[in-house]
Amino acid sequence: MRRKILTGVLVAGAAVAAAGWVLTAPRPLSSAALAALPDGDPQRGEVVFHAGGCASCHAAPGAKGEDKLKLAGGLKLATPFGTFVAPNISSDPNDGIGGWSKADFANAMLAGVSPDGAHYYPAFPYTSYARMTPGDVMDLQAYMQQLPAVAGKAPAHDLGFPFNIRRGLGLWKLANLDPAPMVTVAAGDAVLERGRYLVEGPGHCGECHTPRDAIGGLDRSRWLAGAAAPTGEGRIPNITGGEGGIGSWSAADIAYYLETGFTPDFDSVGGEMVAVQENMAKLPASDREAIAAYLKAVPALADGR
Amino acid sequence: MKKFVLAAAAVLFVMPAVQAADDPVATRKAIMQSVAASAGLSGGMMKGEIAYSPAAGKAAIASLNAAALSFGAFFPAGSEAAPGTTASPKIWEDSAGFAAALAKFSAATGAAAQASGKDGPADVDALKAAVGPILASCKSCHEVYRVQK
Repeated sequence: MRRKILTGVLVAGAAVAAAGWVLTAPRPLSSAALAALPDGDPQRGEVVFHAGGCASCHAAPGAKGEDKLKLAGGLKLATPFGTFVAPNISSDPNDGIGGWSKADFANAMLAGVSPDGAHYYPAFPYTSYARMTPGDVMDLQAYMQQLPAVAGKAPAHDLGFPFNIRRGLGLWKLANLDPAPMVTVAAGDAVLERGRYLVEGPGHCGECHTPRDAIGGLDRSRWLAGAAAPTGEGRIPNITGGEGGIGSWSAADIAYYLETGFTPDFDSVGGEMVAVQENMAKLPASDREAIAAYLKAVPALADGR
Repeated sequence: MKKFVLAAAAVLFVMPAVQAADDPVATRKAIMQSVAASAGLSGGMMKGEIAYSPAAGKAAIASLNAAALSFGAFFPAGSEAAPGTTASPKIWEDSAGFAAALAKFSAATGAAAQASGKDGPADVDALKAAVGPILASCKSCHEVYRVQK
């Protein structure tokens, strides 16, 4: 009898372990999706690069001008889970990602899976990038291949248990990696759809402007309502039209802010948003107007801070 | 009588300074609000939302210049943790860097004051040329030395 119970427990335990192993497995893109990846156009990729804000984390901290194109990594993101260090994503074939195939790059951006089949931590905002079109992802890779190769690997992440176990991210992704749109917009409204794509996809605005739960997943019910800064000091503002947000800003005010860095009452952009705003200033005016139209259309929520 | 007026004027000028020393946080906030108002006036004229006048341009630039020259005096040690301040601790950790950022601000306002002359910038383009570098210095200082709250 006792042996039977023991066997039962062992079998159940093994089943749970096996199920856990299956559930936590990294899931790269399907072979059909990979086979359908188009060839990238570096010229188009430049806009994607700015929209995605790649340099804000992967260039040297404080870099300006041409130095923003040297993507050697090294920026430290101190979070409640430990310190993440932005890796080298320059075109260096050894220390950067210059040797990556199209499939490697697409799996990283759209599935959060590395070339050797491991999960990436969502400090790399693939939860947003997963909403990007394969065409934009390939254009981005083509553009980044033309940027300078910088030698030298950035230090490894410094994370506490259990966050240092990458495999566990499989469960986190099941709960949090969902490329479905966050906000329903009027079908066929090209401006709103473009704005939604930029904000929810490459722009990854929600990664800072939306509060997170205890395990670092976005609180989808409070989309863009403002949050404690995910790293370091300060607060990230509510960018919906709700109380404490930007309801008093017109769409033109939002577009002007993204272009110049000045709020309607002529306070200036500050902190980490400076780099974001400077990227937004490099987009076509129509893209800033689309972002503004989308932000005016998102559900108005009270301050999430 | 004249002496009395002079003395009264002197008191009026001294009084705010005494209050400022007592409450550096309130003072630096008031200065920064005058900067925002002047930037708003300049920006409104640059955007065409406010009709341009050289006198208004001159007033904005003069106010920005006075702010740039005085602002840095209101960050004494001990005022970094004041309630409601959005000043970053980096102001005190990296005082040389903060001084350099202030120098950039006052260099831009000084040049603008020089360019605006007795009557103020003649037209909107002249205003843009004078105020543009000042506005650029807002962002570079706020990127590092202000905390979002």
